[in-house]
Amino acid sequence: MSEDLQIAISREEGDKAITVMRLRGSLDANTQSVLENKAKEAIDGGAEYLLLDLSAVDYLGSAGMRGIHAITNLLSPDDPSMRSPKLKILNPSPAAAKIFKTLGFDAFIDVYGSVDEAIAAL
Amino acid sequence: MPLKLRASLEQLSHIRDFVVDSATALGVDPALFDDLRLAVDEAVTNIIIHGYGGPGDIELELGTDGTDLVVRLRDQAPEFDPALAPAADLRPLGERDSPGGFGVYLMKSVMDEIHHQTTETGNELTMIKHGAVAKAAPPDAKQGG
Repeated sequence: MSEDLQIAISREEGDKAITVMRLRGSLDANTQSVLENKAKEAIDGGAEYLLLDLSAVDYLGSAGMRGIHAITNLLSPDDPSMRSPKLKILNPSPAAAKIFKTLGFDAFIDVYGSVDEAIAAL
Repeated sequence: MPLKLRASLEQLSHIRDFVVDSATALGVDPALFDDLRLAVDEAVTNIIIHGYGGPGDIELELGTDGTDLVVRLRDQAPEFDPALAPAADLRPLGERDSPGGFGVYLMKSVMDEIHHQTTETGNELTMIKHGAVAKAAPPDAKQGG
């Protein structure tokens, strides 16, 4: 387990429940599997919607984006909408937001400013 | 001074820290630090994964040429030219066959020039950011490179 990335998980209840994964540290080729494994554990444990809090991510590279893409496929393997209906992003740091935009992920994954806002949009 | 190490994915954060420390010492605009960390991280990750197929020796050096920042990466891996990597697939998520090519795409998006050359012992990758240093050093004080 890498010390470069810590992930705290909580479950927020609204009309629908969403599992919030708060990431702290770097999301790179070394820690990509840490995120994917944590997300898979949550999904296997019944999580239907995931909200990734990226506010404390100080580095996000292409490997991290591949990890996030892999999680969208785990959550919505047969979704025909070409979007990510079940994985949402919360408050990306400037470094993370720039990578989202550069690789075009911002057009397909919704970004929210608060947990309440994300739950309300489910 | 160049950073020489047996690079592995576990050392990526250390390598990114070296980039920021070196860029700071060279007088690089701090607004560019995130871009430089990104370019070097992606390049080193490619060398480890696609070049060596695992940990391997790399040499990383940052220097200046006038107001340009010059980043050089040397390795002894089989030839790997990032320019020949598959293009990034930027179609909508559900249409993307394989999320590959992102690393090189990001490198190109944040650096002004990227050159690869094969050396007697492996590869040398040069990445240049124009105007990254506020004031050009005198010719006899050129650092690194």
